[in-house]
Amino acid sequence: MQTEADYYALFDAYARGELAPPARTGLEARLGADPDFALRYADFDELTGTLRAVGQRRALRQQLRDLHAEMLAETSAQQPAADAPAPGALRATVNPLLRISRTERVLRDFWSGHRATVGVAASVAVLAVFGSLLGLEAWRTFSAKPSTYGYTMLRLELKQLQKNQRALSRSLNQVDTGKGGAPAPVNNGKFSGTGFALTADGYLVTSYHVIQGADSLLIEGRDQQHYHAETVYADRAHDLAILRIKDRDFNGFGRLPYTFKAGQADLGERVYTLGYPREDMVYGDGALSARSGFGGDTAFYQVSIPVNPGNSGGPLLDEHGNLIGVVSGRQSDAQSAAFATKSSLLLRLVDSLAKKQPAAPYHLPHTNRLVGTPRPQQIKKLQDFVFVVKVFEKD
Amino acid sequence: MSRGDSSSSSSTPLVPAPDEALIAAIRGGDERALAQLYRLHWPMVSHFVLQNSGSDDDAQDVYQEGVMVFYEKVRDGSLELSCQIKTYLYAVCRRLWLKRLTSKSRFGVRLQEDEDLGPLHHTGAEDDLLAAEEQDRRFTTMSEALDHLGEPCRSLLEGFYLLEKSMQDLTAEFGYTNADNAKNQKYKCLVRLKKLFFAHYKEAPI
Repeated sequence: MQTEADYYALFDAYARGELAPPARTGLEARLGADPDFALRYADFDELTGTLRAVGQRRALRQQLRDLHAEMLAETSAQQPAADAPAPGALRATVNPLLRISRTERVLRDFWSGHRATVGVAASVAVLAVFGSLLGLEAWRTFSAKPSTYGYTMLRLELKQLQKNQRALSRSLNQVDTGKGGAPAPVNNGKFSGTGFALTADGYLVTSYHVIQGADSLLIEGRDQQHYHAETVYADRAHDLAILRIKDRDFNGFGRLPYTFKAGQADLGERVYTLGYPREDMVYGDGALSARSGFGGDTAFYQVSIPVNPGNSGGPLLDEHGNLIGVVSGRQSDAQSAAFATKSSLLLRLVDSLAKKQPAAPYHLPHTNRLVGTPRPQQIKKLQDFVFVVKVFEKD
Repeated sequence: MSRGDSSSSSSTPLVPAPDEALIAAIRGGDERALAQLYRLHWPMVSHFVLQNSGSDDDAQDVYQEGVMVFYEKVRDGSLELSCQIKTYLYAVCRRLWLKRLTSKSRFGVRLQEDEDLGPLHHTGAEDDLLAAEEQDRRFTTMSEALDHLGEPCRSLLEGFYLLEKSMQDLTAEFGYTNADNAKNQKYKCLVRLKKLFFAHYKEAPI
């Protein structure tokens, strides 16, 4: 029995032509007759052929490498020789692209490899910047929705007052618990503004935005009197509200010292206001600077009085003690530009209300007791008719 | 290509060599003809690779690969050239470099080309490269099989078939008592190699 190695010895001898003629013809006959044997020979042939080819390939590779090295050595030897006779002469034969410095090569590689990534990163950065800027702007516009952008309504948030009241109710609670009584209801006064008397029998005027969302209203005078009030009419467009005092024991404000001006006031007129931007009454004066309000609204005057949150709903009077407007708001991005609803609109509102409810007449004052008196005297007469309007909201 | 001309004038009298003469010389085994061919077209390929974000080493690899394909076809006598050698080499090297670039880059590759050598579709480069790839695979499998074979089989077979040493030299080198022993050993090695080689070569995906 012949092993495979023996076959290989036979094939090897055959391939080299070392086989004796009889053995050779015998082998060839067997190759023709036995397919398995022929396949075995084909494998052997491929194996040795590939082995030789691998050898040739390695030799060729080495040869080419040597060629390359030789060529490089020659050109580098030639170059200094060629440069020497004509220094500075233009050598057109050398392609400038073949002489790229190492740094430039590295930069080029980086750029060609990361071009797309860099582009994407840059566009994302640009989008992010513009997106956040626009988003911020949109958000600011949106969040300023309750009032017009650039317009600030002047009601005061009563954090300080609230705190005081909490403290008060706490001390009351302690007294009560000593007696075993129920806890007192918690006051949640939220905002305050200013209001003033419309008639002697208990009607008041303030700004609509002061009483907006109110659950109950408390009117507080200079001499610490308290009245409960209710809203009679609210006019959102002109920022006006009419309130009425509902206390049973209320018996009138007394005669009002001012009258309401039915016509337009003139530009440049000296005007002043009283209000409660803090817990004490504050006086502010200035001039009437425009006959239209924010955004050209003709229902308002523009006045140059410094006003603050809490001034809303305060009376605006001219030098003769005529009431010409109701303070409403100011422009936040302009210097001392306050706005007040015109008194003519207030009178028109009162007229229409009187027609609807003839049973509850409005007795507007007819005589002006402020004419011709100096400003401090006017204020002394006026101050009893200007009130704090405190607004309580439901939880 | 004046650089190629100047260097070739110093090393070989065949200036300027028409393609046919060069091919005939290479087929005849003239090493100087191969050297001349190598120098003649190197600047073109190196320029092309450098311009398309390759390095000097890349250019050398690609060019040698291309020359090898050309050389082996010439030696086989299977080369059917329908264009200039220059065009053929350019087409082969261009294809090789494009393949490497695409495997390196995630994005599409656009080549920047200065050479205007006419249409490259009919140079036969594509088919020749496919054949060369198949050949490469065979050679790689064989080299791996040799590596797996272990000593002394590997050295013995390499000595005999790759380096074409005589049986007498190998007998002395490996310390066999006589040439017949060495021969027997060689055949045993061949059988083992055959198993390794065909196992890997046949099962590898085409």
